[in-house]
Amino acid sequence: MVILTLVFSILLRVNIPNYAAWVLLGLLVWRFFAIGTSQALGCILGNPSLVTKVYLPRYIIVLSSNIATLMGSALEFLILLPLLVILGVTLTPYAFLIAPILALEFLLIFALSLSLSSLNVKYRDFYQIWDITLQLGFWVSPIVYDPNIIPSRYQFLYYLNPLTRLIDSTRNIFLLNAAPSLFDIPVVIAGTGILLLIGFLIFRRLESRMAEEL
Amino acid sequence: MTLTAIEAQEVWKQFKIPHERRSTILENIAGILSVFDDRRYSHEQFWALKDVSFRLEDGDSIGIVGPNGSGKSTLLKLIARTMKPDRGSIKYNGSVAPILELGIGFQGDITVKENALIYGIILGIPRTQLKKRLASILEFAGLTRFQDAKLKNLSTGMTVRLGFSIAIESNPDIFLVDEALAVGDMEFQQKCLDKFREFKKEGKSIVLVSHSMNLVNDFCEKTLYLSNGETRAFGPSIEVTQRYIADMQTPRPTYRNVNRQP
Repeated sequence: MVILTLVFSILLRVNIPNYAAWVLLGLLVWRFFAIGTSQALGCILGNPSLVTKVYLPRYIIVLSSNIATLMGSALEFLILLPLLVILGVTLTPYAFLIAPILALEFLLIFALSLSLSSLNVKYRDFYQIWDITLQLGFWVSPIVYDPNIIPSRYQFLYYLNPLTRLIDSTRNIFLLNAAPSLFDIPVVIAGTGILLLIGFLIFRRLESRMAEEL
Repeated sequence: MTLTAIEAQEVWKQFKIPHERRSTILENIAGILSVFDDRRYSHEQFWALKDVSFRLEDGDSIGIVGPNGSGKSTLLKLIARTMKPDRGSIKYNGSVAPILELGIGFQGDITVKENALIYGIILGIPRTQLKKRLASILEFAGLTRFQDAKLKNLSTGMTVRLGFSIAIESNPDIFLVDEALAVGDMEFQQKCLDKFREFKKEGKSIVLVSHSMNLVNDFCEKTLYLSNGETRAFGPSIEVTQRYIADMQTPRPTYRNVNRQP
């Protein structure tokens, strides 16, 4: 984090006010997503006995992995708060909006985790594929650079990434003291809804033979 | 009219024996590309259970016997619902203890007490009831002294005893037992048997997979004898176990292994 701040603010002279706080907020949202999905990816493969030896609704295994990450990220956020104040951010009541944003992100993570964890049982190289996807995702999300550098004709494509909107919204409430855009949040909700549906469909389909595949 | 505790109707279960292992996306893509290469993806079908049906009256218990690989454990997994039958159905009347192996989800690094709570929740015991009954669970397992010790420092037998004590606390209508009685010392085994008798008196059913004919005869009114996934006999325990023993004593089984398909 220190390295990223140094490289981008001193060496590359990024023109973003309070760049350190800006990056930290982006990283908070990103880390929650990256850790949440990659941990959930292996949660079924890593607990075969919970699938083959006990009868319980299997999405609970995925959910519990996600909740564990949520707790970790909530703690990270609590540590981040005083840091933000030190970096000169004035906290306003808008800061409370971080709770619904993280809740929405949680649903997004859960939706993807359902697909990923069940696909990982059938296709064991999903782990590597997702690893590379995440590395790519880091650079197609506005975590360390200003999204405005993206040419305007690609902006539409760029904003299909729900994380872009979530990161934007988080920066809005802390750095601009403004509510998230009324367009961003409904779009993310709609996208998450679709992903949840796909996730449940894939999970239901693969679940029936999960015990045999493990 | 007596109620039916479990009714299995024409249950078939198939496993695939692949000729070529393909468990990654890369292998799948390579497999599709090599279709022209005359290396088609193929697998053998193996029917682990063929047309198995039985009916168990409420309050009766059933023993499942048969040689290794005859489908006993597969049937038990189907009854426990961790696998789904490919054909046929299994109906229940009452709750099934969702457990095939003791101590699922035990974590070595936390205390015996905490493990008991987690395990109980996995088995579906409400948290409030669990907290109330914790003392008696530990008492039954004989682990009251060790309740704050880390689980990894306990002996194997102690761990299994803990698992069993919590499992019986979940108080199901149908109890599945897969060789679980083989563990634990004689005193604990006796305790378990007494508990099972108590269960039977309360009108609960036990599904017992065992190689001990005495145990099966002792506990189960009915016995299902499986061989190569097919029902060889189903009926009163004494008759069926005698037939099983007789079959085992003849050098070659008298039945033919027909490759039946649904």
